[in-house]
Amino acid sequence: MRVEKKVEKYAKRRGWKVKARTEDGILYLEGEVPSYKEYVEIGRYAGKQKNVEGVVNRLKYKGKKEEKRKEGRNEIIGEADVVIIGGGVTGCMIARELSKYKLDIILVEKAEDVACGATKANNAMVHTGIGEKMGTLKQKLCVEGHKMYEELSKQLDFPYEKNGMWIILTKDSFADMPIPSFLGNFIARFIIPRIILRRAKKLGIPMYIVKRKELLKEEPNVTSRALVAVYSPTYGVTSPYLFTIALAENAIDNGVKIMLETEVVDMITEGGEVKEVVTDKGRIKARYVINAAGIYADKVAEMAEAREYTIHPKKGSTLIFDKDYGNYIKHSMTILKFPRTEHYKGGGAMLTLERNIQLGPTLMEVEDREDTSVKAAEIEQIFSHFSLLLPDLPRKGVIAYFAGLRAATFTEDFIIRRAKKVRNFIHVAGIQSPGLAAAPAVAKMVVGLLKESGLEMVEKEDFNPYRKANVVIRELSIEERKKMVEKDARYGKIVCRCEGVTEGEIVDAIHGKIGATNIDAIKRRTRAGMGRCQGSFCLPHVAKIISRETGIPLEKIKKNGNGSNLFVGKAKCLLEEKNEN
Amino acid sequence: MKTDVAVIGGGPAGLAAAMEAKKHAKVTLIERNEELGGILQQCIHHGFGNFIFGEALTGPEYAEHFIEALEGVDVLLNTTVLEIDKNKRMLLSGPDGVFEMEAKAIILAMGCRERTRTQIFIPGTRPAGVYTAGTAQRLINIEGVMPGKHIVILGSGDVGLIMARRLTLEGAKVEGVYEIMPKPGGLTRNIVQCLHDFDIPLHLSHTVVEIVGKKRLEGVFVAKVDKNFKPIEETKRFVPCDTLILAVGLIPENELTKKTGIELDSVTAGPVVDEGMETSMEGIFACGNVVHVHDLVDDVSLSAIIAGREAAKHANGEKTERRKIKVKAGENVRYVVPQIINGRDMEEITFYFRVKNEMRNVVTRLIVDGEVRKEKRELIVKPPEMVRLKVKGELVKNANSISIEVKKVA
Ligand SMILES: Cc1cc2nc3c(=O)[nH]c(=O)nc-3n(C[C@H](O)[C@H](O)[C@H](O)COP(=O)(O)OP(=O)(O)OC[C@H]3O[C@@H](n4cnc5c(N)ncnc54)[C@H](O)[C@@H]3O)c2cc1C
Ligand SMILES: Cc1cc2nc3c(=O)[nH]c(=O)nc-3n(C[C@H](O)[C@H](O)[C@H](O)COP(=O)(O)OP(=O)(O)OC[C@H]3O[C@@H](n4cnc5c(N)ncnc54)[C@H](O)[C@@H]3O)c2cc1C
Repeated sequence: MRVEKKVEKYAKRRGWKVKARTEDGILYLEGEVPSYKEYVEIGRYAGKQKNVEGVVNRLKYKGKKEEKRKEGRNEIIGEADVVIIGGGVTGCMIARELSKYKLDIILVEKAEDVACGATKANNAMVHTGIGEKMGTLKQKLCVEGHKMYEELSKQLDFPYEKNGMWIILTKDSFADMPIPSFLGNFIARFIIPRIILRRAKKLGIPMYIVKRKELLKEEPNVTSRALVAVYSPTYGVTSPYLFTIALAENAIDNGVKIMLETEVVDMITEGGEVKEVVTDKGRIKARYVINAAGIYADKVAEMAEAREYTIHPKKGSTLIFDKDYGNYIKHSMTILKFPRTEHYKGGGAMLTLERNIQLGPTLMEVEDREDTSVKAAEIEQIFSHFSLLLPDLPRKGVIAYFAGLRAATFTEDFIIRRAKKVRNFIHVAGIQSPGLAAAPAVAKMVVGLLKESGLEMVEKEDFNPYRKANVVIRELSIEERKKMVEKDARYGKIVCRCEGVTEGEIVDAIHGKIGATNIDAIKRRTRAGMGRCQGSFCLPHVAKIISRETGIPLEKIKKNGNGSNLFVGKAKCLLEEKNEN
Repeated sequence: MKTDVAVIGGGPAGLAAAMEAKKHAKVTLIERNEELGGILQQCIHHGFGNFIFGEALTGPEYAEHFIEALEGVDVLLNTTVLEIDKNKRMLLSGPDGVFEMEAKAIILAMGCRERTRTQIFIPGTRPAGVYTAGTAQRLINIEGVMPGKHIVILGSGDVGLIMARRLTLEGAKVEGVYEIMPKPGGLTRNIVQCLHDFDIPLHLSHTVVEIVGKKRLEGVFVAKVDKNFKPIEETKRFVPCDTLILAVGLIPENELTKKTGIELDSVTAGPVVDEGMETSMEGIFACGNVVHVHDLVDDVSLSAIIAGREAAKHANGEKTERRKIKVKAGENVRYVVPQIINGRDMEEITFYFRVKNEMRNVVTRLIVDGEVRKEKRELIVKPPEMVRLKVKGELVKNANSISIEVKKVA
């Protein structure tokens, strides 16, 4: 049966009016379904069909919001060989990769800083690729990207560690499957680990099986219901924002222009080509456009008349534990449980570089592309799900929680290709996990696509692959610390007591290549406010330092972007307001 | 650098301890902030020192009394103690550098920090406009900025109540104070003076169940809670506001204590101390909110004076008994400080404790070796209010078993 018919039939059986149409391998859905839930359901069904390269879901449903596009500004503000849309890890990695060539490059990002989208709200794992579906593009790029991290971290001076990962099977792994428990346990113990090993071998990932006894000796807090583990020693962890900032800074050093607080609102196309990228700050003439807009990639593609997919955000919420539990586990770990439930893709207890355990993430379809709220039910879900792995990890250890949105398409895999009908537009879409791990390989692939589409790429002789990070005082030896304080007394003054961040480091962040002028930007760069008091103590101090260094009045300092003002004015401002009325 | 007694923290505890210790020894006071006084500097309301000075002073005035008496003490400002080792060598970081300091005795007076929204698991987004009460107080009273216009306060302890009044006086509209317990947490006088006088509604058995807002807070969902403090879904409603103030408790600041390997009490979250305020590590003393959270600064100062005196004695080489008799928390007692009696020569010892449940017409009792040795009538005892029982030192000096209990008067 033809794909369109299959999808229509699926809908009809459920009483929904859906029309499907294929063009150039893209499946377009039109009609109406009752609600967002069914909209997603049919989209997913359509995306699973063979040879579908993308699903554009135009189905209506009750309560669907009509979106208004922002107004663009008319003046020309730039001209470039390549315009990259999106300053997440994907966009910044591409910018840095392209800065090796003699090209004029502009990266536009609507937020006030780089790394403000999914890139700031993920689990920081540099996956090896073992967890991905075999044969997918994301797996291929993940395997390749992972291998490139070590070198990159040396060049760009961002933190990266191979901390390793346990994949753990327990008596609960098959408990929800309709099979007797002895059989489930047998499969968990003997079959699954071997399948994993076989795959690892194929992919060239070193992995080995660890018996229950050994596992529990190494990780005594893991559930005693554990049966066996498969260990992946090369599994990595990084800091996604420090990595992205490093990429952006190095790209700037090599001539890339980064425009922050610049939102792409439209594109001017002519004869199957994008001519100009229209932003809320003005127009940019572009020879090539790369769409790395994350959760908004479909909207951006539509502006270029190249909509070949629809994104349906999948939220993931994660709990973060106090450093006090940093030795509760030695390595990151995940539990394999079948069948894969609605609420989890995998996840587990993952250690950050600073040894905070991250527990999660959840998986939840959300309609709102800005919905990064963590719901009470999610917190409970995380505790109940991962109690199967670490039954005694105490609730009181949690210091923060956050949610990020996965930019999922209905076909699930990354979509990295030239647009079907627009000659100079390249999609880098559907970059959900393992988008961080894969980023270096994604960028290489984009270089190939640009070459293919006729962009002449000549390597620069003076490309500088190196970039130096700002000093991190808490990581220095006492002797080194002493030297730093001798140079500048501000490296002695601790501002964030939980994380031991000094005034000097905050000043460095403010005056960095991409200057941090709000609380969250400082936090990402220095960790000030990331500890157990969550900034209760240091916020006033950090705000004052920003004000002093930048001249922004204290009462105007923001938490992050526009609209996030921390204060309503100077003290007494409300009394004065009242007197005037 | 060397000193006899190093005091870590320049709040009321550290100040009083330093003032006392300097009478007998060389003292260095280390404070990480740019000013002395700790939390007091931002408490510009009256209500400090009723007990010690017999008058209601403001926080800064109270602190000033002690700061003036510091002559002869070495004060290091903007300086943080990073580490302490078992030999009482400390690592300090400040504008003068990163350096070691060796002391014969150390007094921990680091105070406490505030519980955050995460520690009470309020779900939702992470917008601007969510502050702990102490942060908000500092912003208004010291930094001179106004955190918001429409305020919801969570927590009806004294801190929350005082902030409700302060914000109202600054022209903000306090939409309400929400309290999860069926009874208010703060002193009755504060309920009257801070809420009733300003027509601020107090919602008991209510809590905030979700924080809403993308960039700046747009409002909170509140709900009534059942007997088990679980929110009742049907009572959930939205309260628009741009600011949420969290006054949901304080936690003793014991990172340093923990790192040093000093024994902590799991109930108070502070170090276990004896009647001389000495911790489990010889020569390291503790006082003030770092030991347990106090309601009144006077008690902080009084316990700090003991710590200062005993630390100086230790620095001067005086030996003390170490009988290590545990003070048991008996009927309706949640915890007692000091937790240990070592048999020091002390004229008087005050036991500070908190009860589990509210009770009227009670006696609080000290029981030594199975006998009631001291009794005191109280009209009412409540969990949020600290109870004191002052006894003669000789009553417990040679005891083999000690406990404190609260009993209903027959
Ligand atoms: C909960 C969670 C956990 C994850 N864990 C991992 C992990 O452990 N390991 C891993 O490898 N991956 C992980 N991922 C995936 C990873 O975070 C993403 O794949 C990666 O961050 C995607 O980066 P990006 O640059 O494509 O997207 P983003 O970081 O979202 O960047 C897109 C940028 O485009 C900008 N933009 C959008 N529209 C416009 C416009 N119109 N004009 C200008 N700018 C625009 C946005 O503001 C944004 O900054 C996780 C994801 C989630 C949600
Ligand atoms: C909002 C509010 C209202 C109050 N109202 C009243 C009232 O009306 N009446 C009353 O009697 N009491 C009141 N109190 C209670 C009383 O003020 C406190 O109990 C008292 O201040 C605690 O004193 P402290 O010295 O233990 O702690 P703090 O005052 O917190 O001082 C601790 C000091 O140690 C410093 N420090 C911590 N760690 C380090 C380190 N590693 N290195 C160097 N320095 C360090 C800190 O910077 C701080 O200055 C109130 C408290 C609050 C928060």
